[in-house]
Amino acid sequence: MQLTADHIDYIIKDVHYRGIIVDGLKDEIIDHICSSVETEMQSGKRFIDAYHHVLKSFGHTGGLRELQTQTLQFENQKTKIMLKNYLLIAIRSLTKHRFYSFINVIGLATGIAACLIIVLFIQHELSYDRHFENAENIYRLNGEIKFGGNHYKLAVASAPLGSTLVQGFPEVESAVRFRSRGSYLVKRNETSDNIKENDIIWTDSTFFKIFSIPVLSGNASTALAEPNTIAISQSAAKKYFPDGNVLGQSLILDNRWNVKVTAVFEDMPRASHFHFDFLIALAGLSEAQQTNFMSNNFQTYVLLKPGADPKELQKKFPGYLDKFMGPQAAAVLGGDFSMEKFRAGGNIWEYTLMPLTDIHLHSDLTAELGPNGDITYVYLFSAIALFILGIACINFMNLSTARSANRAKEVGVRKVMGSLRSHLVRQFLLESILLSVASFIVAVGLAWMALPVFNSLSQKDLTLPLNNPLFYSILAGASVFIGVLAGLYPSFFLSAFKPVNVLKGNVALGMRSGWIRSSLVVFQFVISIFLVIATITVNRQLNYIQNKKIGFQKDQVLVVNDAYALGDNIQAFKNEVVKNNFIKSGSISGFIPVTGGWRNDNTFWPEGKEPNEETMVGLQNWSVDYDYVKTMGMKITDGRDFSDDFPSDSSAVILNQAALKFFHFEKDPLGQKISTFNDSNPDGSPDRNSLRSWTVIGVVEDFHFESLKQNISPLGLFLDNSTGTVIFRFEAANSQDVISAVEKTWKNLAPGQPFQYSFLDEDFARMYSTEQRLGKTFAVFASLAIIIACLGLFALTSFTAEQRTKEIGIRKVLGASVSSIVVLLSKEFGKLILIAFVLAAPIAWYAINWWLKGYTYKVEIGILVYAVAGLFAFAIAWITMSYQSIRAARNNPVTSLRSE
Amino acid sequence: MHSTELLKGTLQTIILKILADHGKMYGYEITQRVKELSAGTILLTEGALYPTLHKMEAEGLLRTETEAIGKRIRKYYSLTPVGKNIVEDKVSEFIAFIKTMSTVLNVAIA
Repeated sequence: MQLTADHIDYIIKDVHYRGIIVDGLKDEIIDHICSSVETEMQSGKRFIDAYHHVLKSFGHTGGLRELQTQTLQFENQKTKIMLKNYLLIAIRSLTKHRFYSFINVIGLATGIAACLIIVLFIQHELSYDRHFENAENIYRLNGEIKFGGNHYKLAVASAPLGSTLVQGFPEVESAVRFRSRGSYLVKRNETSDNIKENDIIWTDSTFFKIFSIPVLSGNASTALAEPNTIAISQSAAKKYFPDGNVLGQSLILDNRWNVKVTAVFEDMPRASHFHFDFLIALAGLSEAQQTNFMSNNFQTYVLLKPGADPKELQKKFPGYLDKFMGPQAAAVLGGDFSMEKFRAGGNIWEYTLMPLTDIHLHSDLTAELGPNGDITYVYLFSAIALFILGIACINFMNLSTARSANRAKEVGVRKVMGSLRSHLVRQFLLESILLSVASFIVAVGLAWMALPVFNSLSQKDLTLPLNNPLFYSILAGASVFIGVLAGLYPSFFLSAFKPVNVLKGNVALGMRSGWIRSSLVVFQFVISIFLVIATITVNRQLNYIQNKKIGFQKDQVLVVNDAYALGDNIQAFKNEVVKNNFIKSGSISGFIPVTGGWRNDNTFWPEGKEPNEETMVGLQNWSVDYDYVKTMGMKITDGRDFSDDFPSDSSAVILNQAALKFFHFEKDPLGQKISTFNDSNPDGSPDRNSLRSWTVIGVVEDFHFESLKQNISPLGLFLDNSTGTVIFRFEAANSQDVISAVEKTWKNLAPGQPFQYSFLDEDFARMYSTEQRLGKTFAVFASLAIIIACLGLFALTSFTAEQRTKEIGIRKVLGASVSSIVVLLSKEFGKLILIAFVLAAPIAWYAINWWLKGYTYKVEIGILVYAVAGLFAFAIAWITMSYQSIRAARNNPVTSLRSE
Repeated sequence: MHSTELLKGTLQTIILKILADHGKMYGYEITQRVKELSAGTILLTEGALYPTLHKMEAEGLLRTETEAIGKRIRKYYSLTPVGKNIVEDKVSEFIAFIKTMSTVLNVAIA
């Protein structure tokens, strides 16, 4: 039977009266009771009896309440609920203090973005050459030769060394050699235009066996076995054979030499220490078949059997190799030469194994296959990344603790209401993790935007691994970690407040209590000032190098490259161009004093002396023409320049000042003679019976031809043909006119050949591109560090100003001027920056000395640089602070004092 | 009458199974249904039923809909997809438990 509305009203009222009030549960219980009562009444019970019977089954009021409590407990048992509450409070408090939250997120995000980019960079640097399957077992043979005053550290070895080691040691599975002969002009057939190719090298047929570069077509094991064959990369194949028909086709090198394409390989990965598009078979190079151990021209790599110990192997080298090298050296040097005596005299001639994976970051030897990275920069950038992250995290902590003053009351009330300390710690930690996660999201966006800029700066090709799940999990992990790290101190600091003190208002508020905060600010500015000093130094050193007296005049010199393409027309080309009135002079020589110029190193000794390790001098011999010294703007300090008035000049030499020292010619250089072997035996070793001598006719002032990191080594200028480049000194306001005039002549005399030119000063600057990039990168990161630090300072000042609003108001009422209040507010931080400067200066001084040690010619870093850096930091900080201070000071005291 | 001690661990399984078999039901209906199925040997107490229902709802196993019948508001419970998925597991878990118990206690179940 149905209950009447009165009955239902009664039940509703009664249940409510008994304390069942939870939404959802109350209606349900009522419905349940109603249903039960209805059933009972069906058996003839009165309503009130039925109701009381049902209530009894619930356990009366006690049972009902128990039920309600249990339901609530069950529902809320999950920590989710509590977390939700923390989250709600966190979001409320963050949005309430939008300004601080914003500064926090932006500061941290910038720091993280910078860090992220640097981590990508470092990861890329460390990944070099690891993609080769045998990377762990591939080693390069490094040569070291030292005798007399000469000391060479080479990335090259002699032609027979690799195969000799394979024969002598079972651990050495196979060897591959590279021989670089510079760039080549490449064309498909007689009618097509030449293209200049730089990434071209000679190599053995074992190349594909040792280096796992996939071969796309052709047979990898036989591809380079025959002379006059070539393997080309996929992109080269596309360039020269767009029709796709590649294998068996031929290419013409340097206009005269036909090679057959026998393989196409996948483009070599960027993260390799060599990149070649063309591999020419070494089988076709007679130099490669020589058994001469004394000339080192081949970059040689060996593949060891898995498990072989390179250290043990290397120890066995001298005993084995002396048998081959000793007799050859004795035959050349004569006398009673033996390897034992050679070594006993403190001389060195040895080969060591360098792991393939170390080459990119740890190798900077003569004759590298390409420019390598430098482990120092990896360390340097890691340090910068940590610094920036540190500064950003400190901001985070400082702002949180500073804000604590405002939240002290909140903490007090929470504690009084029964909050445990752990609850508060959780609350504050969650807030900081929330901020940190937000920062990471912003940071990824920032890094994504900044990467192209960084790539162009560092000449890398880095990308964010956006489709790598590991990347996200690392980011998520890092964001929580940083959140906890940055939030740990503030959360413990805040939660330790005693409610009694806080609510009484006794807690030490504001800046005075924050000695930790102060030291953190000091730390931030120590790093910032350090980075500023470092930036100024790096850039000054760069400037110094580029404007130092380098021994020749690099400005207004046009360099026409690959001039050998002119063939017999080269002299005509020079004469034709020199006819232009804006060309002052021209010279034909491949030897130019910048990277990329030709180099040729031979040993000479004073005529009449026995050639041995005491007397021999490793001398750069440069083939030049009559106009070379004039065109380069070099200075003859003694004697004279080459001249066609003296037919005997064909056996004359002009030495640089460094060479005089090595030959011991300092006193009276002119007329001295130097000798060398003129011919070589069929096996490639020098022929002892063919001596040739040159007379010193002049001394040229030392000029730099390698990076200024190095000392100037002995050098001699010889009159000879060398057709690598033609250089012109011009005098014109518009260099474009010069280029077009020269190009016109080139087109006439060398149709179909690419016209490649550069300016000497640009080539010179390119030698320092690493340093230049370092300088720029340093500047970028230093400014980032300062910006982040100032961001923090900005927020801190505004916070202090806020804290002291009343104080300022009262001071103003009592007659303080705006400027005195500004000083008052800035004083505190000014002091901190002064301390930071005092700390940063000696650290910077030490670091700078360490860095400059690598340079032979270094700039003087005066006190001025430090002063400038200090003032700069101070000025930036002051500007940052003054905005807030002045705003606070200019405030009408009425507004600040009226409230409350 | 089975003791409530024994029932404690099986309440969720009973609710899941009954809802799986009958679709949506309200609290009173569930108690009646259990009573009927067990021939009066199992009496669900309201004090245990409602907290469990609410807990299961909070865990996402059940969903509810309400219907107004005059002044009374009736709340129906039914299984969510998650709830449907675990019914079988819960039941077979319980059967396995009974089997284990029968070997432990060394009795055969009819």
